[in-house]
Amino acid sequence: MKLIRSDILENLWLALATLRDNKLRSFLTVIGVIIGVVTVMLIASIISGIDTSFTKEVESFGTRSMYISKYNPGIHVGRLSREERMRKPLTYDDAIFLSKLPTIEVAVPFLEITNNFFGQKILVSGGGKTSAQVGLQGTLPDFERAGTQTVAEGRFFSQFENDQNQSVCVVGSKVADDFFPFGSPVDATIKIGSEEFRVVGVLQKREQFLFSGGSDDQNNVIYMPYNVARKLKPNSEDVELMAVAKPGMMAEAMDQVTDALRVRRQVPFGSPDNFGIETTESLISTFHSITGGIAIAMVVISSVGLMVGGIGVMNIMLVSVTERTREIGVRKAIGARRQDILWQFLIEAMTLTGFGGFLGLAIGWLLTLVVKLIMPSYVPLWAPLAGFIASVGIGMIFGLWPAWKAARLDPIESLRYE
Amino acid sequence: MTEATVETSPTSSGVIAKPELPSNGKADVLILMRNLWKTYDMGAEKVHALHGVSFEVTRGDYLAITGPSGSGKSTLMNLIGCLDTPSQGEYWLNGKNVSEMDDDELARIRNQEVGFVFQTFNLLARATALHNVELPLIYGGIPGAKRHEMAKQALAEVDLADRMMHRPNELSGGQRQRVAIARALVNHPSILLADEPTGALDTSTSYDIMNLFEKLHEAGNTIILVTHEHDIAARAHRIISIRDGLIEKDERIR
Repeated sequence: MKLIRSDILENLWLALATLRDNKLRSFLTVIGVIIGVVTVMLIASIISGIDTSFTKEVESFGTRSMYISKYNPGIHVGRLSREERMRKPLTYDDAIFLSKLPTIEVAVPFLEITNNFFGQKILVSGGGKTSAQVGLQGTLPDFERAGTQTVAEGRFFSQFENDQNQSVCVVGSKVADDFFPFGSPVDATIKIGSEEFRVVGVLQKREQFLFSGGSDDQNNVIYMPYNVARKLKPNSEDVELMAVAKPGMMAEAMDQVTDALRVRRQVPFGSPDNFGIETTESLISTFHSITGGIAIAMVVISSVGLMVGGIGVMNIMLVSVTERTREIGVRKAIGARRQDILWQFLIEAMTLTGFGGFLGLAIGWLLTLVVKLIMPSYVPLWAPLAGFIASVGIGMIFGLWPAWKAARLDPIESLRYE
Repeated sequence: MTEATVETSPTSSGVIAKPELPSNGKADVLILMRNLWKTYDMGAEKVHALHGVSFEVTRGDYLAITGPSGSGKSTLMNLIGCLDTPSQGEYWLNGKNVSEMDDDELARIRNQEVGFVFQTFNLLARATALHNVELPLIYGGIPGAKRHEMAKQALAEVDLADRMMHRPNELSGGQRQRVAIARALVNHPSILLADEPTGALDTSTSYDIMNLFEKLHEAGNTIILVTHEHDIAARAHRIISIRDGLIEKDERIR
């Protein structure tokens, strides 16, 4: 359109000159916009950081792995339903059965015995130190073949040791560092509860999700033969299974595992599964849906800042129109049409908030550098784009009414305005 | 002088239907006003600022409109300058029927046909003299390079070529008024419409400005001066006196 093209640049220069002449006023006006844009930038970078870190950890469990529990997959909020709590536990035999399926390479059970019968953490001591924060798992030596854990030093325990109920264990890297900081833990003795264990191997340190600590720490763990763990806590029903599909057979393996477990657990035809299978992919997508929700919530919150900024802009633009009534009159007298005046003030408002958006991007970018020191994060491209477009859009929306007011002014009255 | 028959154009932008000129044939009629009324609706009563004003202005004339305040002089000026439309009657400016135009068409006419000079100059304080003069060209859609050229030329015509990059607050009153005159002239309008152009100037500067108007008139511009000062009006070639919304006297003095 000719009328827009002819003076859009002209109006931009004019708007920048106005901005320069009213530095402080302009800055104060757009503080809301600045805060809004900074918030968007920060949220984007923090969420990207959390996502990256989580994805890294989950992927270290292997992309062919399935984790099977008696609970439904996904995130649980609040108390589990009675039906879910009352489900029968998975068993050692389930794991053995799964391991014989043609699409499955390895399947092992995990017996979780971190807490004793009374719900207290079992104490672990060694090298003169004691901790109640160590995760305790009983499993089978096949676990090593799943490829999610590598032995850094020593060896994994053997099937023979499992069958013979020998008190041996493999420790995570954090356990090794905490209890035996100065020497190799291999062949050292660790006391778990009242039982003494010989350490046969140390696991490689693995990727951690941000802020994990205590017994959630994937490196703060001790694996022992399944039978030994069963002996330590005979009544434990806390069994989970891990199954690894043969290469390229993930989908078929999922189906076979599901079918097998439905038969073994006597799920009636047409009823939903009474167990849950989590894969790396499903974990990541669940997590993304959470962080995505948080991101949307935060963007909504930050848009409040933008709205407040918009109202400030509208206010200052109304003042500006009143102050410049005479100028508007002169412009109209020498040939400015309504849309010329409308565009002049619209572009001025958009320049004002665009400038706020630009400052917000600069400040936000500096703050994301700080975030980067805390966690591995990046700023996704949509964040600065959305921030800048939103701030210019705010100028347009909130500048419309003042600009329309200016455009409608009567030239004679405006020329007479003192 | 025979009666001029006016073909009233049904469309608001009656550009082509030019009224038949008076048959004396020598003069080129620029402004043709026929029975102009302007009525303001003040709630209960109607105020007639103009009741039936008719006159013609030929191209190249130098006209002064005088009258006391409240005479309808300003209303007439607003109508001549196309800032307003009459309640009744016809106004043809340079062959275009202005009386029936809408806001945007009027803006176009003001841009192309009318050059305003105001009492208080009305320059944009933040812009340089050059930019002020360029303003009508911007609204006229004239591209940058040509705009600069035309604005520089207009400033040279009012002897301000060396003050182009100054802002209004760096100029004297007389210089400011000359910038305003350059702005009025830059689009080569049909009429130069000056509203009390010397009202804010001291006597000697006033004379300078009046001399400039004379020079511009000699160069062929049509000038309409609105003033209540008799010695200023006396510099024109024709004086129309307005009183109570009517033409009291229309005399040619030169």
